[in-house]
Amino acid sequence: VTRDSPLTQGVARLVLAPTLLVAAAVLVKGYVDTGDGFAAGVIAALGISLQYVAFGVEETERRLPVRHVPLLAVAGLLLALAVAFVPVAFGEPPLRHWPPADAEVIHLGTLEILSAVAFDLGVFLLVLGSVVAAIRFVGALEGPRP
Amino acid sequence: VTDPYRTSRAPAVASIALAVAGFASLLAIHLRGGGTVDWPWAPALGLRLHFELDGLGALYGLLATGIGALVFAYAAVYLPEHLRAHDRRRGAVPFFGALTLFMVSMVGLATAQDLVLLFVFWDLTAVASYLLIGFDRDEAESRRAALMALLVTGVSAVLLLIAILLLAAEYGTFSLPEIVERARPGATVTLAAALVAVAGLAKSAQVPLHFWLPRAMAAPTPVSAYLHSAAMVAAGVFLLSRFYPLIRLSGEVLDGLLVIGLASIAVGGILALTRDVLKQVLAYSTISQYGYVVTMLGLGGRKAALAASFYVIAHAMAKSALFLTAGAVTQATGAKALAQTGGMLRASPLLAAASGVAAAGLAALPLTIGFFKDELFFAAALERGTVWAVAAVIAAALTFAYIARFWAGIFLGPPNPAHADASPGPGLTVPVVVLAAGVLLGGVVVSPFLHLGEAAGAASYGAPTPGKAAYHLDLRAENLMALAAYAGGALLLATSALWRPAALAVARAGDVAGPARLYTSGLAALNDVSDAVHDFEVRDLRARIRPILVMAGVLVALGIAATPTGTYVVGSITSNDLPLALALLVASGAAVACVFPRRHLMLVLTVSAFGFSMAVAYAFFAAPDVALVAVLVETVFALLFLGIFSLMPGGVLRREAAAGPIGNRRRVNAAIAALSGVFASAVVWAALSRPASQQGAAADQVRLTPDAHAKDVVTAILADFRGLDTLVEVTVVFVAVLGMATLLRRGRIT
Repeated sequence: VTRDSPLTQGVARLVLAPTLLVAAAVLVKGYVDTGDGFAAGVIAALGISLQYVAFGVEETERRLPVRHVPLLAVAGLLLALAVAFVPVAFGEPPLRHWPPADAEVIHLGTLEILSAVAFDLGVFLLVLGSVVAAIRFVGALEGPRP
Repeated sequence: VTDPYRTSRAPAVASIALAVAGFASLLAIHLRGGGTVDWPWAPALGLRLHFELDGLGALYGLLATGIGALVFAYAAVYLPEHLRAHDRRRGAVPFFGALTLFMVSMVGLATAQDLVLLFVFWDLTAVASYLLIGFDRDEAESRRAALMALLVTGVSAVLLLIAILLLAAEYGTFSLPEIVERARPGATVTLAAALVAVAGLAKSAQVPLHFWLPRAMAAPTPVSAYLHSAAMVAAGVFLLSRFYPLIRLSGEVLDGLLVIGLASIAVGGILALTRDVLKQVLAYSTISQYGYVVTMLGLGGRKAALAASFYVIAHAMAKSALFLTAGAVTQATGAKALAQTGGMLRASPLLAAASGVAAAGLAALPLTIGFFKDELFFAAALERGTVWAVAAVIAAALTFAYIARFWAGIFLGPPNPAHADASPGPGLTVPVVVLAAGVLLGGVVVSPFLHLGEAAGAASYGAPTPGKAAYHLDLRAENLMALAAYAGGALLLATSALWRPAALAVARAGDVAGPARLYTSGLAALNDVSDAVHDFEVRDLRARIRPILVMAGVLVALGIAATPTGTYVVGSITSNDLPLALALLVASGAAVACVFPRRHLMLVLTVSAFGFSMAVAYAFFAAPDVALVAVLVETVFALLFLGIFSLMPGGVLRREAAAGPIGNRRRVNAAIAALSGVFASAVVWAALSRPASQQGAAADQVRLTPDAHAKDVVTAILADFRGLDTLVEVTVVFVAVLGMATLLRRGRIT
C-alpha cells in the first residue's frame, strides 16, 4: 500500500471528521472525564497529519483550509497567558480561576463555564498548532528524489 | 519609478511620539513631587511591580526619554541613508523597535524599586543593545561587537543577580528601600556591594572591562549617541547610584571605585588622544567621562554624590551632541577619521557652532553647563584632599585636550578637497543644535538642572545633598583649578609631538596584552571545549548514554546494599493483578524485541510497539489519562520518525543499518543494559507493588478537585493546581516550534 493508494486516501478522508469530533468531545468533557486539552490537541493534530501523510502537503492544502493551523499555536499561547495574567490586573495571584471554589457554575450540558476550561482550550490550540507545524515542517522539506 | 529603498516613516514617528510623551509625563510627575506604582504580582515570593519616580529615577528617566526623542528624530533622517548604504530595503521597524525597547527598559530600570524587576530591566537593556549594535548584521565586525557587548555586560549581570539573592537571603525582602533601611555594615553587604559594583562598572565600560565600548562603534551612529549618553553606559553608573546607600557602607568598595575611576579617566583620556577614528575618540572619551562619575562616587560624601548626578546630566547632553555631529559629518562626507576631515567650518557653520558649544561643555568652559559639572567635581575632590584635587585637574586637562583636538580636527584647518563643500542637511543638524542649546541654557540658568541633580543626589545618597553652582569672579580654588585645567589642556595640545609616541605605545600595549586579548582567547577556548563535547556526543550516542546507565545501575545497587535488611520489601501479587501483569509481560517482550532489528523502519515500529503496550499497562494501572496521552504521543513520534526517514537517502540508512554501532562492543553494551535494567526493575517493582496509602500533595489534590468544579483530577491538576507549570510547559512547546521554524523555514511558521 503506497502513500497515494486509494485505500489510504479513502480512509484518511473518512476519518477526518470523526477525529475532529472526538477531539472536541475530549476537550469539552475534559473537566468531567478522562482527557484534557493536551490529548484533544494531539487527537485533532493526528487527524490533520493523516491528511498530510495520505495526500502530501500541496494536495492537502488545496483540499482543506489547514495551511494556517500552526498559527493556532500563537492564539493558544496568548489565550493561556491571558487566562493566567488577567487575575493579576484585579490584584489576584496569576491563574486564580473564576468562578471561585464555593460559587455555582453555569453548565451547558457537560461543559462547565470556567476560566480553567478556557486555559485548557489554550493548551488545546497550542498543541494542535505545534504538532501540525512539526509534521508540516518535516513534510515540506525537500527529500531525496527516488 | 518608486524608490526600492523607501522606508516607512511610521516607526520613527511612533517612537518619537512615545519618547516625547514619556518625557512630558515623567517631568510632570517629577514636578508634582514624584509618584509610586506598587502592584503585588507574586506575593508568595514577595515580588512586587514596584516603581517609584524618585529623584534618581527622574534624572535617568528624563535623560532616556529627552535625549531619546532627539536621537530618534535624528535617526529618522539618518536611518534611510544608512539602509541605502548597506543595500537593505527594510529595517526601520526592528531598528526603532529596539530603540524604543531600549528607552522603555531604561525608564523601567530607573524607576524600579523591586530588585527582581530591576534585574529584568537591566538585562533588557543588554538585549536591546545587542540588537542595536549588531544592527548591520551583514558585517562580521558588527556581529562580533554585539556579541562582545552582550557577553561582557550579560555575564557581569549574573553578579548583580547573585548580589540581589544575597541581599534577599540576608534581609528577607526584594524591596530595595527596605533593604537599605535594614542594612548594616558587614560581610554580606560588602560582598553584595562589590558584586553590584562590578556589574555596574562593566556596563559603564570602566577599566579593565572597557574594551567592549570602542568596538560597539560598529553600531549606527544614533545608537552610539544613545548608548553613550542616556542608555547602556549610563545604566552602569545609575546602578552604582541606586545601590549607593549600600556601597557607601563599605570603605573597601568605595576605595575600589576610586581606583577604577581614576584608572578609567587615565586610560580613556590617553587613548582618546591617540585615536583617529571620530567615533573611537568619543568612545574613549566616554570611558574617561564615566570614570569621573565613578571617581566621584568613590570619593564619598554629599558633595560628591551631587557632583556625580549633575555630571551625568551635563555629559549626556554634550556627548550625544558630539556623537550626532560625528554621524552627520560621516554621512555628509564619507569621512570617518580625523585625518580625512578638516575645514568644515566654512561649509557647515551652524553645525560647527553647535558642536563647538557641546565640546566646550565637555571641556568645562564658562557659559556652558559643563563649567558647573567641573566646579562641583573640583569642590568634591578638594573636600577629600589635595592629591585628589591634583588628579581632578589632570583629568580635566586631558578632557580639554582630546575634545579640542576632536573639534578642531573636524572644523578647522584646510578642507579636504575631496568633499570641500559637503554639508549635512538640516535633519541631522537640528538635533545637535537643540542639544547645544541645552548645554548653553544650563550654563546660564543652572538652577533647574541643579535641582534635578540635587534630587538625584539625595535619592542615591540617602540624605539631602544641597549644593551651589554659580559664577564667581574671584580667585577661589575651583576657579584656579579650572584655569589650570585649560592651561594644562592647551599645553598638552601644544606639546603633542613630545608625548604622542609614548601614548601610542600605551595604546599598542593595550592591544597586545590588554583585557580584550584575554576575552578573545577565552572565547576561543570556550568554543574549543564546546566543539569537543559536541564531537563526542554526536559521533557516538551510545557513549553518551552509557555513563548515565552505568551510574544509575551502580548507585541503585549501592543504595540497596547500604539499606538495612528488611527495608527492601516487595508486595505480593494477587489474582486481581493478573491483567496488569500480562500487560507488563507483553511490554517486556516488546522491549526485548527492540534489540534485534537492524533496519531503521523496523526499529521504530518495535519501539512504538513497546510504547503501545506500556499504554495498555497504564490503562490497567488505573491511569487512563496517562494511557491516552501515551498512545497519542507514540503515534505522533512514529509519524515524525517516518517523515524524517523519508528525507534521508536510502543508501545512507542501509549502510548505517549494515555497519552496526561504532566501535562494536556488544558484550559490554549488553552487560550495561542488563545491570541498569535489573536494578531499575528492582526499585520500580518495590515501589509499585505496594501502593502506599495516598498521602500528602496527591491526596490534597484529590480532595480539592470538587472545589475546582472538576471531576477529573488530572485535568484539575494541569489546568488549576499546577497551572503555572502547565503555562511554562506550553510556552516551552511554543518556543520549540519557533526553533523548528527558524532552523527549517527561516522563521516562517505557516
